[in-house]
Amino acid sequence: MTEAAVAIDPRAPRARLANFFDDGQFVTITPEDDRGVLAAVGRANGANVVAFITDPTVQGGAMGSDGCRAIVTAYDRAFADSAPIIGIWHSGGARLREGVASLDGVGRVFAAMTRASGKVPQISVVLGPAAGGAAYGPALTDIVILAPAGRIFVTGPEVVRSVTGEDVDMESLGGPEPHGRRSGVVHIVADSEQDALDHARTLAALLGHQGSLNLDAIEDVDLGALLPESARRAYDVHPLIEGFVDAGSFEELHARWAPNIAVGLGRLGGRTVGVVANNPMRLGGCLDSSSAEKAARFVRMCDAFAVPLIVLVDVPGYLPGLGQEWEGVVRRGAKLLHAFAECVVPRVTVVTRKAYGGAFVAMNSSSLGATRVFAWPSAEVAVMGSVAAIRVLHRRRLADVPEDARAQVELELAAEHEVISGGITKALELKVVDEVVEPSLTRRAVAKIILDTPGVRGLHGNIPL
Amino acid sequence: MSQTIRAEMVASVLVVVAEVGDEVGVGDTLVILESMKMEIPVVCEEAGVVSEIVVAPGDVVREGDVIAIVL
Repeated sequence: MTEAAVAIDPRAPRARLANFFDDGQFVTITPEDDRGVLAAVGRANGANVVAFITDPTVQGGAMGSDGCRAIVTAYDRAFADSAPIIGIWHSGGARLREGVASLDGVGRVFAAMTRASGKVPQISVVLGPAAGGAAYGPALTDIVILAPAGRIFVTGPEVVRSVTGEDVDMESLGGPEPHGRRSGVVHIVADSEQDALDHARTLAALLGHQGSLNLDAIEDVDLGALLPESARRAYDVHPLIEGFVDAGSFEELHARWAPNIAVGLGRLGGRTVGVVANNPMRLGGCLDSSSAEKAARFVRMCDAFAVPLIVLVDVPGYLPGLGQEWEGVVRRGAKLLHAFAECVVPRVTVVTRKAYGGAFVAMNSSSLGATRVFAWPSAEVAVMGSVAAIRVLHRRRLADVPEDARAQVELELAAEHEVISGGITKALELKVVDEVVEPSLTRRAVAKIILDTPGVRGLHGNIPL
Repeated sequence: MSQTIRAEMVASVLVVVAEVGDEVGVGDTLVILESMKMEIPVVCEEAGVVSEIVVAPGDVVREGDVIAIVL
């Protein structure tokens, strides 16, 4: 049964599904009744996908046991077809009038999502309120997209007010601003409902139709021109990422949360790739607890779905501070080390400017198993910057130097130190860096490694870190 | 709409680029901070007019400190 949408209410499942699937065409796979969930199969940007949607026109989209069963049916189908599954949410949570039966149903949905984790790509689109159980549904999936009217929270404003006395509305509790910037719950904040559905279509195709890499389609781009002249000057990394992947293909995730690292999917020579890049414009590009966690989750998602990784490194270190230590930068930073070390997809590092200290190790170093580590000719790989290093190594000697001469002596010692300890030559000798590559030839060099490395996938789930 | 531009991290103020009364657009640099041996531009997120610059070169700012106000 293939039908175009005829529904009048724009919130009706058929209307929204028609806006999601290619040409508005889909085939339903669950009964259309008052269970409040409808599931269907069709195509999204050419990729076969399964979608389910909650129906806000029936009891506010609340989930009962039949509706939950429909979601599980959708998951069974996604498994059978090895297809991405898209959940479209507008739901007040579990159906109160069904009592514990609905809670049991919601729990079964969570279990189905977890079984599917890392096996089929799961994308959630939240179009309206998604409260309680409907909040944790999206949260268990790989990517969460929020429409302007989307609200995600565990307990609503009234409960919050009665318990804590905080007077908040749904938007400040769980709208685009808090989830896009503060909580990290949402990966993409969309401009409109259709924009949200379109992002889901793009991502479903990036993960479901990964394509094959065509080396002949790779053009040389002078990526070096995208860096500032001064090596000390911070810059926004996005033009570099967009210049690296095929034009217009970059789909950034978590753009505003932990913006000191940028992650997202794009295509290189037509093939889907994941990009992880330090962003010096924010916090100097330092790694911190949130950015490490954000990147770790992304790396594990790419690994689970056989998406090769490109890691663009320009990192001064970990962000120092009491706040960081108390926030658990040790525990949360360890996630990134774990994610890269266990990762089996091709993963290529490019050190564009500098890679210092522990942050250098964390950014897909060869010690963690990088497939290949490239560096641009002027890149610096070291335990720390040379001036900082000689201040530690020559503390006593520098203390004896008169203050007006100290800067000069520091520069001399730093130059000497670079010759002995560091520089790219030493990094090459130690195989910490495999190869120096010209910025303009980097795309091709990285593409070739990806093409020559067998495509495998990590056999693990994608727990929402 | 007024926007308060705050420091994201501990840093010293290297250069104050914008002046009070300047019309600024999205991405325009207001101040350049120095931290972690890097020069980090602090940019405007919404267009407006600079109404206040709270810092001067050499000042040390901590995370959350106000740097400028743009109306």
